[in-house]
Amino acid sequence: MSIEVSGVNKNYGDFVALEDINLTIPTGQLTALLGPSGGGKTTLLRVIAGLETPDTGSVVIEGKDATSLPVQKRNVGFVFQHYAAFKHLSVAKNVAFGLEIRKRPKAEVAKKVGELLELVHLSQFANRLPSQLSGGQRQRMALARALAIEPSVLLLDEPFGALDAKVRKELRDWLRRLHDEVHVTTVFVTHDQEEALEVADEIVVVNQGGIEQIGTPEQLYDQPANDFVMSFLGDVTTLGGSLIRPHDVEVTPSPISEHSLEGTVSRVLRIGFEVRLTVLTDDGEVVTAELTRTHARALRLEEGANVFVTPTPGAYTMPAPSSAA
Amino acid sequence: MAETRRAPRTPLTYVLRVIVIGYLGLLVAWPVVLVAWNAFHVPDVGFTTEAFTEIFNDPQMMHAIQLTCVAAVVATLINLLFGVTISLLLVRTEFPGKRLLSAMIDLPLSVSPIVVGLALVLVYGGRDGWFGPTLESAGIQIIFSTPGIIMATAFVSLPLVIREVIPVLEEIGTEQEQAAASLGAGSWQIFWRITLPGIKWAVIYGVVLTLARSLGEFGAVKVVSGNVLGQTRTATLAVEEKYLNFDQQGAYAVAFLLASVSVICILIVFVLRARGARVR
Repeated sequence: MSIEVSGVNKNYGDFVALEDINLTIPTGQLTALLGPSGGGKTTLLRVIAGLETPDTGSVVIEGKDATSLPVQKRNVGFVFQHYAAFKHLSVAKNVAFGLEIRKRPKAEVAKKVGELLELVHLSQFANRLPSQLSGGQRQRMALARALAIEPSVLLLDEPFGALDAKVRKELRDWLRRLHDEVHVTTVFVTHDQEEALEVADEIVVVNQGGIEQIGTPEQLYDQPANDFVMSFLGDVTTLGGSLIRPHDVEVTPSPISEHSLEGTVSRVLRIGFEVRLTVLTDDGEVVTAELTRTHARALRLEEGANVFVTPTPGAYTMPAPSSAA
Repeated sequence: MAETRRAPRTPLTYVLRVIVIGYLGLLVAWPVVLVAWNAFHVPDVGFTTEAFTEIFNDPQMMHAIQLTCVAAVVATLINLLFGVTISLLLVRTEFPGKRLLSAMIDLPLSVSPIVVGLALVLVYGGRDGWFGPTLESAGIQIIFSTPGIIMATAFVSLPLVIREVIPVLEEIGTEQEQAAASLGAGSWQIFWRITLPGIKWAVIYGVVLTLARSLGEFGAVKVVSGNVLGQTRTATLAVEEKYLNFDQQGAYAVAFLLASVSVICILIVFVLRARGARVR
């Protein structure tokens, strides 16, 4: 087990940032800390890095108690949301920083920096200053800089948060491939559930200073532990008093089971290949359903049409919390 | 690169330009030019460098200029060291009384230099100062001596480095320093390799302002130095002395020397900054 966090509490005055966190992160995996803003995920990452001191509890990295070790001695690579590029140093010098601090021989540093710049596709920019790079390039430089010290764990704080949607997606795929190549234990913080589901081997859902659920993307999506996890990981709607994913709602012109509810289509929204229906059932429940465009056309669905909504057999549902009804 | 958006030019633009240039010209530029002019130009004689020859051949004047340079350089070094340290303390740490300290740093700018001089005499005066007699018995004379001149100069120019450095420290934030720490750098290495390069221009600018201000200090130095010819008379005091003794030519010449050094300092910074901006 690469990182073991146990009994960690952290308060800022009256604000409880982390409450009794126990977490084990396995070696060599890509783990996402996922949660809403202000939920404590960044604080947890910074506690692991040694950039924050927990009020109580311990952090063990690769079997070594790191709780009282300063960040310098933990051998962690940390990547910041806003890159934290050393503005006065060239790209190559940025990457070389950790090695120069470690007083490695010049030839070794040059070789290692060359390899890393190759890995992050920045070789031709070695002599540029960070200000001459795009956001995505800067973040790749920051990643190479963190990898240069051969860290036991790589920690990324919302690494793609400051980038535009297209670059974000590219970097996300690239991070996954890079991890498959380098295999360093990696923890990254994100508030984007799509990013976590797509990239991570394991997801830790953090909310209000505590951990809601730990599991693989499949486990979290298919068997969420509670309504918070279910609604954070994707769209949800209520059907017959249960929470269900809109794409698990079947829409038919006639009832197909005893669970079918009658209602009228109150809104049809087309988004690309997808059609999103709002159905008002006769019991007064508002149900959202997602269908493909072709399917919707075959059913001749339009506003005011009379339909039946049924949970798809085998779909995961959970009782809706009473407050949300 | 952010594009600067310019307001369209209207007759008002030109009126404003004339007002601003006229104001600066009449208040600053023209009087300073006149000092230079009068340093070299004597009525009925024409252009001459006689006043300068006289100064350079007068050992007591050379001593005054040397004393001013020594006091200014030492005071600047002191303020550089303390200024950067205090700036780091104020921006990067929390401690009780921080706001009070921050307010006190502006004191030297708001208090008249004469008051500074008197205050220093009260504390370090050799005969009846608060701390002076103790030091005097240990063989250290502060007032009417070079240390006093340096202290007075350092006092009046204290905030200049700090006020340049603090906003830049606040702007660059702590992320780069944290990144350096995560890469294994100790606090000393972080300071030399990351923080100092980040505030380099602010420090240089602060140092030049401090040096220029220190060279020209008059009021506080007048009180603490005792103005002893050839011993504790500084260049600014010599200007006053010459002026009062109807040696106006000499006064203008020394004033010109003092002003030139300041102007050269500012020009050096101007050129360095332009070059720095190009590299960036």
